Amino acid sequence: MKKIFSHPPRDEKPVLWRSLEERENTADFNGSLGREFSDAAAGREADGLSRRDFVRLMGAATALTGVGLTGCRRPEAHLVPFAKAAEWTIPGKFLYYASAMPSPTGAVPVIVTTTDGRPVKIEGNPLHPLNSGASNGSTDAFAQASVLDLYDPHRSKEITHDSLKVGRGDLDNLLARIRATADSNGGEGLAILVGRDHSPTVERLRSSLARQFPKMLWFRDEAIGTNEAAFDALLGAGVRPSYDFAKADVILSVGSDFLNPSDAGFGFAQGFAGRRDPKGSMNRLYVAENHYSLTGGMADHRLRVRASELGDFASAVAKAVAVKTGSSDLASLAAARPSTASFDSAWISGVADDLVSAKGRGIVIAGNGLPADVQALVLAINSALGNLGATVTARQTAVKTTGTLADLCGAIQSGSVQSLLILGGNPVLTAPALLDFPNLLARVPETLHLSLFSDETGRVTHWQVPAAHYLESWGDCRSVDGTICAVQPMILPLWNGVSAIEILSALAGEKIDGPSAVRSTFAAFSKDSSDAAWQSFLKNGFAAGTSWPKASPALSASAVLAAAQSAPKSSDGFEAVFLRSSSVDDGRYAGNAWLQETPDFVTKLVWDNAALVSPADAKALGIHDGDWLRLTAGDRAVEAAALVAPGHADRSVSIALGYGRKGVSHVMEKVGFDAYPLRDSSTLCFRSGVKVERLTRDAYSFARTQEHENMEGRDIAREGTLETFREEPSFAAAMDGEASSPASVYPNPPLTADLQWGMSVDLNSCIGCNACLVACRAENNVPVVGKDQVRRGRDMAWIRIDRWFASADHREENLEMIPMAVMCQQCESAPCEAVCPANATVHSEDGLNLMAYNRCIGTRYCANNCPWKVRRFNWFDYNQRPLDELYFGPLAPKGMADSLQMSKNPNVTVRMRGVMEKCTFCIQRIEEAKIGRSVAAGASDVTKTPLPAFQTACQQACPSGSIVFGNIRDPKSAVSAAKADPRTYSSLAGLNTRPRVTYMARVRNPNPAMPGAEYVGAANRRPEHA
Amino acid sequence: MSATLPTEPDLQGSASLRPPQVLNGRGPLWVTDAVCSIVEGKTPLWWYAAIALSGSLAAAGGACILYMICTGVGVWGSNSPAFWAWDITNFIFWVSMAHAGSFISAVLFLTRQKWSLSVSRAAEAMTVFAIVCAGVYPAIHIGRVWYVWFLAPIPNNFGMWPNFSSPLLWDVFAVTSYLTVSSLFWFAGMVPDLAVLRDRATTRVRKFCYGIASLGWLGTARQWRHYEMMYVVLAGLTSVLVVTVTTIVASDCATSVIPGWHATIFPFYFMVGAVYSGSATVLTLLIPLRALYPQLKDLITPAQLEKVGMLLLMMGSCVGYVYVIELFNAWYSSNVFERGAFWERFTGTASWYAITCLSINLTIPQLFWFKRVRTCLPLVFVLAILCNVGMWFERFMIVTTSLLHDFLPSAWGNFHPSIVDIVTAVGTVGIFFTLFLLFIRFVPIMSMNELKASLPGTQPHHSGGKH
Repeated sequence: MKKIFSHPPRDEKPVLWRSLEERENTADFNGSLGREFSDAAAGREADGLSRRDFVRLMGAATALTGVGLTGCRRPEAHLVPFAKAAEWTIPGKFLYYASAMPSPTGAVPVIVTTTDGRPVKIEGNPLHPLNSGASNGSTDAFAQASVLDLYDPHRSKEITHDSLKVGRGDLDNLLARIRATADSNGGEGLAILVGRDHSPTVERLRSSLARQFPKMLWFRDEAIGTNEAAFDALLGAGVRPSYDFAKADVILSVGSDFLNPSDAGFGFAQGFAGRRDPKGSMNRLYVAENHYSLTGGMADHRLRVRASELGDFASAVAKAVAVKTGSSDLASLAAARPSTASFDSAWISGVADDLVSAKGRGIVIAGNGLPADVQALVLAINSALGNLGATVTARQTAVKTTGTLADLCGAIQSGSVQSLLILGGNPVLTAPALLDFPNLLARVPETLHLSLFSDETGRVTHWQVPAAHYLESWGDCRSVDGTICAVQPMILPLWNGVSAIEILSALAGEKIDGPSAVRSTFAAFSKDSSDAAWQSFLKNGFAAGTSWPKASPALSASAVLAAAQSAPKSSDGFEAVFLRSSSVDDGRYAGNAWLQETPDFVTKLVWDNAALVSPADAKALGIHDGDWLRLTAGDRAVEAAALVAPGHADRSVSIALGYGRKGVSHVMEKVGFDAYPLRDSSTLCFRSGVKVERLTRDAYSFARTQEHENMEGRDIAREGTLETFREEPSFAAAMDGEASSPASVYPNPPLTADLQWGMSVDLNSCIGCNACLVACRAENNVPVVGKDQVRRGRDMAWIRIDRWFASADHREENLEMIPMAVMCQQCESAPCEAVCPANATVHSEDGLNLMAYNRCIGTRYCANNCPWKVRRFNWFDYNQRPLDELYFGPLAPKGMADSLQMSKNPNVTVRMRGVMEKCTFCIQRIEEAKIGRSVAAGASDVTKTPLPAFQTACQQACPSGSIVFGNIRDPKSAVSAAKADPRTYSSLAGLNTRPRVTYMARVRNPNPAMPGAEYVGAANRRPEHA
Repeated sequence: MSATLPTEPDLQGSASLRPPQVLNGRGPLWVTDAVCSIVEGKTPLWWYAAIALSGSLAAAGGACILYMICTGVGVWGSNSPAFWAWDITNFIFWVSMAHAGSFISAVLFLTRQKWSLSVSRAAEAMTVFAIVCAGVYPAIHIGRVWYVWFLAPIPNNFGMWPNFSSPLLWDVFAVTSYLTVSSLFWFAGMVPDLAVLRDRATTRVRKFCYGIASLGWLGTARQWRHYEMMYVVLAGLTSVLVVTVTTIVASDCATSVIPGWHATIFPFYFMVGAVYSGSATVLTLLIPLRALYPQLKDLITPAQLEKVGMLLLMMGSCVGYVYVIELFNAWYSSNVFERGAFWERFTGTASWYAITCLSINLTIPQLFWFKRVRTCLPLVFVLAILCNVGMWFERFMIVTTSLLHDFLPSAWGNFHPSIVDIVTAVGTVGIFFTLFLLFIRFVPIMSMNELKASLPGTQPHHSGGKH
C-alpha cells in the first residue's frame, strides 16, 4: 500500500536554510516536511475548490462544451503495469494462502484466494482435521462474507483521541505510557477486555502481561456467551463436551442448533450429513425447540417447546430414561429438578425408548444459551445412556477462567480501573442493561476501543483505534477442536488498522515485527522453532496435533445435583428468546451488506429482524405480519415489528440480536430492532415474564425473498420416509407419473463436447445454511440491491434457497421444513434461449446455458419464460449508484468505492444496468480448468488428459456436501454417481426442458412409535393420494 | 348534378334495401363542403383546449420515458416475476386497438360494405396512431435502449444474427410492417381528398402544403385507374395483417411455457379482442366528433354506428367465449400448474384485475343485443369506453397475472405500478389524442371521394336492372 516517505534527519539549527521558517524550525515547517506538495502547490484549499479554481474550471468546461463536442469520445485510459508486483504474482492467476477466520465459536480454517495482492474469495481449508473426509473444505456464510468487511469503505480509518484525529505515533506513546505506569505500579488500574477469540498468542501475551504486571485486570466478554462456568463445575475446569455426530444413531437436541456453524462451532454439519444417506445406516434426529432452527428443519420429529420449559422437557426425558434404564442417579436428579410444564407423554416415552435402544450410540445435546440445570440434565442423560465417553467425549481446553463483563463493572464501580483497553466486542451495545455499562465506562479516566467500525463503544471511549481485519493482520486462532490455525495477512492494512496482538505486544514490551509475536507462540507450542516448521504451519494453515487433548468426561454428581436444583422457576406469560442472527451474528456483521441481504434461514427476511410469534399467539392477539409489538420485561421495553412464524412455540417471542443499530455505518441504518436492552444476561438465551402488547401503529414493511411457503400440491421439493425409500427407492421420480414424450419443437443444441456439466443437489443433507448463497455472491460479483429493491422482488442472488413448509395433516404441530437451493437449472432444452430476440442467451456444446452480457438488450423475455424464475435483471445500475439514490438516475453520484472495486473477482464481468444475469455454473472456473487441461495436454489428445480438479463456488462452500458438480459424461464422476442415485428427480420434469440440475429427494427417518409419525416425510402427500 | 339524374325504380329499390350512407339526400358538393369546412374553418376553441391537455399528457409521458431511459427500467413497478407489466400490457393494448381500424377499412372495403365509408378514414387514422403508441413500448421497455438495433436483421461483426425463433423478433417485423402498410393505406386513401383541399386552398401556404401532400393528383381517369388498383392491393395486404399481426403478438405468450400464456387459442383470442377493443375505440372517437361537428350528423349516421356496435357485440361475444373456454381447459387439463394459474388469477393477490376484466367484457358487449342500447349514442359512448377499460384489464390479466403465479410458489410475487408506469401510460393516451386532434384539424377526416361515389346516382349502373 501507500508508502510514507519520511524526510531525512535534519539539524536543529541548520547552517544552510531555505526560509526563515526552516531556520526557526517552526511547527508549520516541520509539519510540511512529510508532504510532497504544499497545500498551495497542490492547488487546493482545505475546504475543496477555491474561487479561483472554480472560475477556471467553469471557463474550461464552457470552452470544452463548445469546442470539444465534435471530438467527443471516451477518455483515454492507460493500463499501467505494477512498478513492483505483489510477491509471486503471475498476472491473471490466483494465489492461494491458508489462513483462518477467528470467531467466538472457534476458527473457521480457510484458504484465501488472492489476485494481484488482494484477497477476493474465501474457501474452506480441506486439509484441516475438521474437514477430514470432505474434499471441498467447507465454510459458513460469515466466512464467505468476510471479504466484504475487509473492503468496507465505512470501516474506521483513523485513530482518534477525544474525537480528534491522531497518528499512530500518538497511539504508540499512549501504550508506552500505560506500560511505564504499569511498570511502576504493577499494573494497578490497568484493565483489558477481550472477546472470545481463542488466540494462543493473546493467551501467551496475557500470561506475559500478568507476570510483568500482577495487578492488571483481564476480562473476557462475548455478546452471546456460553455458560462456561456451568461446564467448569460439571466436568471440571476447562473440560468441554465434544460430540461425534458421525457415530450417533439417535440424536436429541434440546434447543441446540448444532448444525448452525456460528452457534455451535464450525464442523458439525459434515458428520451429521454423512449419516443421512438412506442407503447407509441413517440416524434419527429429535428436536425440541421454541423456534424453527436449521437443526429443527432437519428433524425427524420436532416438538415445539418454550425455551424456558426446555429444562422441564429435559427433566421429563430424564425421568423416562431413568425408568427405562433403571438409573437411580438420573431418577433422583430428575426428581430434584422442580418441573411444572407437562408434555405429550407419548412423545417423551418415544424419545426415551429410542435413546435407550441406542445406548452408547446416541447424543443428547443442549443449546448453548440454556441454563446450567439443562446442561446438567442433558449430560446426566448421556451418562446414564452410556453415551458419555462414546459419542459424547470431552476435551481438556487450556482456557483460563477470566473475569466477566459483570466483574469489570464491579471493578469500575470500586474505582480500581484507571485505563481500560477494549480489544474486542462492542459492550456498549451488547452489555445487559442491568450492568449499566455505558455509564460505568464514562467513569474510567482513560478508555480505548479497538474495532473495525467506529461503533457504539468507540464513540464513547477516549481512544478509538481502527482494528486490522483478519485478512490484514498476523494472528492465530484455535478451531472448535482446539487445532491451532495460522492467521496470515493477505494485504497490508488498508486503513492503518492495528491488531489486538500488536497492542498487547506493545504493552508487554515485545518487539512488533510482522509475525514475530505469533511465531514466538508457535515456537512455544510446537517445540520447533525452525523456519521449516513455521513455513509448514503457514502453508497448511494449521499445526497438526495441536487439538485439545481428550479428557475422560467425569460428571461431578454433586455439581449436577446442585445445577439441577438451581433451575430457574418458570413463569407464566410470554418469554422472550434472543436469537443469534443468521445474517449479522450478534451484530458484528451488521455493516456487511452481503449478509444483510442474505435471507434468514427460516423467515427469509432480509435487512431486518422481527419479533417471531407463533400462529396461535398471532391469532389470539390479533397480530399480523408487520404489526408493532411492545415487549416489556421489568422496567425495559423494546418495540419491534412482528412476523408470524410457523412452527414457533406458543407464549414465546423470538427476536434476533444485533439489529437496530444507529449512527455507525450507512448499511446499518434503519435495519431492524435492537433487542439487546431486553436482556438481563449475556449467557442465557431467553427471559421469562415478558409482557407483549400490540401497538396500534401503521404496519412495518418487511422485505422477504420468499413469501409463499406452501407448495400448493406441486411436487417441487420431494420427500419420503426411510420406509418408502426401502419399498420404492425411486419414489421421488415416480411422483412424475408417466414419462413425458421427449419431443421438442425446437432444435436441440448439439451437445458434442467431451465434457458435459451437471449438478446434483441432495435435499437430504442440505440444511439451508446460506453458505452457498454468499459464496456465489462473492465469486460472481453479484450486487446487493437493498431492502427497498428486495421488497419490490428484485433481489439478485443467483442461488435462492426456497424454504417450504409442509404439513400432511395441515396442522402447525406437524409442520415440516424443507430447504431447497434453486439456481439456474441449465436446461438442455432451455425455454429462455428460444425466446431471446438478440441471441444473448445460447447453449454451449458442453451443456451450459450461456449468458452473453454484451449481447443482452434486456427484453426480460427469457426471465418470463423461465419456469424456475432464476434469472435476475439489473433494474438499475446497482454496481454504480448508491442504493438509496437509485431513483435519482443520472443525478446520483456514479461509481463504486475504490475499496469495493478491489473486492471483485477479476474473472467475472461486473454487470451494468439493463442486462439479465443468472447462475453460470461458475463458468470462469470451468474455463480455467479447461485451459489448464489444454496446457497440460500440450500436443497430446486433450480429451484424454485429466481435467484439473475444480468446484463451483456453491459446491465448495457447502458444509454438508450436498451440492455435487462435474462432468456427467464421465460415469466415474461424483456427479454421475449422485445422479444415478434412486432418489434423483428433476424438478418440473413435465416441462421437458431437461434440466442439468437434479435433486435428490429428502428422506426422513420417523420413529413409528412416536405420535404424529404418520405425518413425517409426507410433504408431498395429498388427500387424493392418501 | 344529382338533381338532374333520373330516379329509377331499380335504384330506389336498392336504396330501400340498404340505408343511404348520406342522410337527408345531401349531394356531392355538400359532402365536400361539410368535410372540408372542418379543415378550412376557424379552429374551434375546444380544439385548443383539447390539444393543450393531450399535448401536456404526451409531454409528461415523454419526460417519464426520458427519465426511465436515463435511470433504468427499475423506475417502473416491474419486478421478478412480473418482468413484463404495464409496458407489454400497453403495447398489446394499443397494437390490438389498431386492428379494428384496418378491419373496418380494409376488410369491409374488400367485402364492399358501404356502411363503413364514413368511418373508415378515422378508423385508419386510429390504427396508425395506435401503432405509434404501441411502438413506443417495445422500443423503450428494454434494459439497454441504445442497443435496440440488435433487433434489426443485420449480422454483427461476428456474423451473428438476431434469433429468428424468438416471437419478440417476429413482433418487430410484424409491427413495423403493420405500421408501414397501414400508414400507406391511410395516406393513399387521402390523396384525392388532399387534392380537393389543395384546389380549395385560399392561402399560399395551404396550397403549397396540400400540393406537396396530394402528390400531384389531378383526378384523371388514368390516375383513378392506377389508384384504385393500388388501393385494392393495399387493402388486401392490410386485411392479411389484421390476422397476422395479432397472431404474432399472441405468439409472445402462446409460444412460452408459462401457464396462462401457453395456449393455442391465443391468436384467435388476441384477434377477436383486438377488433372488439378497436370497435369500441371507433365509437369512442366518432360519437363526440359527430357531436362537435354537427355537419357530420348526415355523414356519420346512427345506422353506421349501430353496425359498429354489432361488430363490437360479435367480437365481444367471441372474447367471452375464449374466457370460458380457457377456464374450462384449465380445469379439464387436470394440470396442477394450469389450474393453479387460473385459480390464483381469480383469487390471488392481483385478482381484481381479472375480476374487473371479466365483469366488463362478459356483460357490456351483451347489452348491444338491444337495439335501444345500440342506438342510444351517449350510452354507446360510455359503454365503449368501458369496453376499452375492460380490454386494458384483460391485457394486464393475460400478461402479468399469469407471470405472478407460475410454477414455483416460492417465486410468486405481486405487482404495484409506479407513478412512472402510470404517467407513461397516460402519456401514450396523450400521444394518441394529440395525433388524432392534429388529424381532425389538418386532413379530411372522411373519404370524400368514396362517400361521393356512394351517393345515389353516382354509381355506374346498368339500365333495366337485369344482368
